[in-house]
Amino acid sequence: MLKKEQNDLLTQTGPGTPMGQLFRRYWLPALLTEELPEPECPPVRVKLLSERLLAWRDTQGRYALTDEFCAHRGVSLWFGRNEESGLRCSYHGWKYDHTGQCIEVPSEPTESGFCQTIKLASYPLVERGGVLWAYMGPPELQPPLPEWEFATVPSDRRFVSKRLQESNWLQALEGGIDSSHVSFLHRGEINKDPLFKGSRGNQYNLADARPVFEVVESPGGLYIGARRNAEQGNYYWRVTQWVIPCFTMIPPRADHPVHGHFWIPIDDEQCWTWSFDYKVTRPLSPLELQSLREGKGVHAACAPGTFRPLANKDNDYLMDRAAQKRGETFSGVHGFGMQDASLQESMGPVVDRTKENLVSTDNGIIMARHRLLRSVKAMVEKHVTPPGLDIAHQRCRSAAVVLPPDQPFKDAAKAALVVQDDHEHVTV
Amino acid sequence: MTSESARMSSAAEARFRLDVPNSKPRAVKVVALDARSEPVVDDLAQRRWSGAAFFTAADLVSDPARLREEVDAADLVVMVATAGSHSDGVALIGEACSRRSVTTTGLIVCDEETSDAELSETLGRLRPWMLMLVVASSRDYIEDMLFALRA
Repeated sequence: MLKKEQNDLLTQTGPGTPMGQLFRRYWLPALLTEELPEPECPPVRVKLLSERLLAWRDTQGRYALTDEFCAHRGVSLWFGRNEESGLRCSYHGWKYDHTGQCIEVPSEPTESGFCQTIKLASYPLVERGGVLWAYMGPPELQPPLPEWEFATVPSDRRFVSKRLQESNWLQALEGGIDSSHVSFLHRGEINKDPLFKGSRGNQYNLADARPVFEVVESPGGLYIGARRNAEQGNYYWRVTQWVIPCFTMIPPRADHPVHGHFWIPIDDEQCWTWSFDYKVTRPLSPLELQSLREGKGVHAACAPGTFRPLANKDNDYLMDRAAQKRGETFSGVHGFGMQDASLQESMGPVVDRTKENLVSTDNGIIMARHRLLRSVKAMVEKHVTPPGLDIAHQRCRSAAVVLPPDQPFKDAAKAALVVQDDHEHVTV
Repeated sequence: MTSESARMSSAAEARFRLDVPNSKPRAVKVVALDARSEPVVDDLAQRRWSGAAFFTAADLVSDPARLREEVDAADLVVMVATAGSHSDGVALIGEACSRRSVTTTGLIVCDEETSDAELSETLGRLRPWMLMLVVASSRDYIEDMLFALRA
C-alpha cells in the first residue's frame, strides 16, 4: 500500500514533477535507430515524459529532437518539409535547424534578424546500440553516454524492440521485479518458448512455486534474489537486477540470450516497454533472430508498421480460453510479454495503490518504491546525484546460479553480477 | 464479449471500481533480534499502527508460553536484526513460526561501516528461518515496509 500522495509522486513524470526531474537526469531510450534510417527521412512524432516532440535527421544525417510545434502558429512540424539542412513548416515556411534554432522566416526581412529570436526547445539525441537515446534534463548535468552492456556488444549479438504499453510506467516496472509470478503466469511458456526452453533452471522454477526471496540494495538499485530448491540441499538462485529508475535485467536460462527491459513513460497513462536480448561472445543464431522478430521471448508481435501489440486491450489480448483450460497458458493469453502487459494494463492506467494488499514476497516492489522515493527526495532537497547514472551501476548483470545453502548470493555470485568482458553471463 | 457492460480498463472505467474495504486488519509481530535493533523497534512502537505489536527477542524467548501465544495470533512475524550483531533468539522464534506456518520476514539493517563478512554472517544466521530477507541501508525502510503491508 502507498499513500495517495506517494503514488502520485511516483507515477507523474511530466515537466516540473519531482519524478519527472529524476527521469530527466538519464539518457532515455527514445526511438529505435531504424525509425530514422537516413538523412532527410520522414520525421517521427515522439511523446516522452508528457512532452510532445519531433525526432528527425537533417541533410547531414544529424539527429534532432525538437518541440513538435512551430513557434509561429503552433502547427505540427510533422507536416513539415525536411530539406536543405532544416525542417520547414508547411504552413508559412518557417525553417528550423537540428538544434531547434529558427533559421528562416520568409515573411520577415532577412536583415531584421527576427529568425534569430526564435528557437524551439530541443534535446540531445544520440545513437548507441541500435537505440536513439534522449537526454531531457539540464544541459549542465548531462551524464556520459549510456554503458548498458547490451548497447556495447556488436550489432549482430543483440536484438532490441519496443512496444506500446497502455499503463503507467511503474505498473510495468513492478511486474519486472516481481519474480514470484513466473511460476504461475508464465508456467505454460517456460518449456515451450524457443528463447526459454531447455534450461535446467526451468525445472526448478516449475517444481517450486513458493520461492524464498532475498532483496539486497545494490549501488544502483536492487538485487532481487529468488531462491528455489535444487538437488542435494542446494539452492537455485535467480538474481534480477533493477537499476534506478527503470532498467531491469532478467536472469539467464541456459545458453539463451539474456534479456531485460526499460519502461519509459510516454505520459502518465502509457509507457514504452523496451526489450533487449543479447549474447556477449557470439552472434545471435538465425533461429534466435527469427524467434525474436516473431515476438517470442519477452518481445511481442506488433501490428505491421506500428509498435502496438497485435494482442491488445481492444481484442482482449486474443484471449484463448481453450488453451487456458488445456493448461497451455495460465491466463489464456499467449507469450511472456503480453501475459505481463495484459494483467498490468487490466489494473487501469494508474492503479490505486491505496487499495492493494501487498504481502511479504512483495518486498522487492516495496523496496523499489522506497528507493525511488528516497532518491527523488535526496535529489530535490539536497541535489544528490541519483543512483544509476554512474557507469559502474550500468555495467551490471543478472545471474542464475546453484549455490550451497550457507552461501549468500551477494557474495558467492559477486563477480557474476557485474560485466565480465568477453565472458557470458553465469547461467543454469 | 459484446454483452459485457465493462471493457478493458481505461481511466474512465477505473472510476467505477468498488470503493469498499477488501481486507481485514493484519496482526504483525515485530521483533528486535539484538540490542542494536531494540531502539529502532522501540521507535516504531511509538507510531500509530492498525495491527502491529512490538517486542524484543528476550520478551519472547524467555517466556515460551507468550511466544506461542503471540505467534499463534500472528499473520506475519517481522524480525529486525543489525548486521554484525548476535541474533540469538532467531532460531527459537523462527522454529515457532515454522511449526505454525506463520510467514516470516527478516530485515537486516546495515550502515556504511558494515563489512561484507558481518552482513554475510547475519544473513546466514537468519536465512534458515525466513521466507523473505531484506537488506536495507536505511532504518526508514522498516516503517515504509510495515505501512506497505498494512501493519
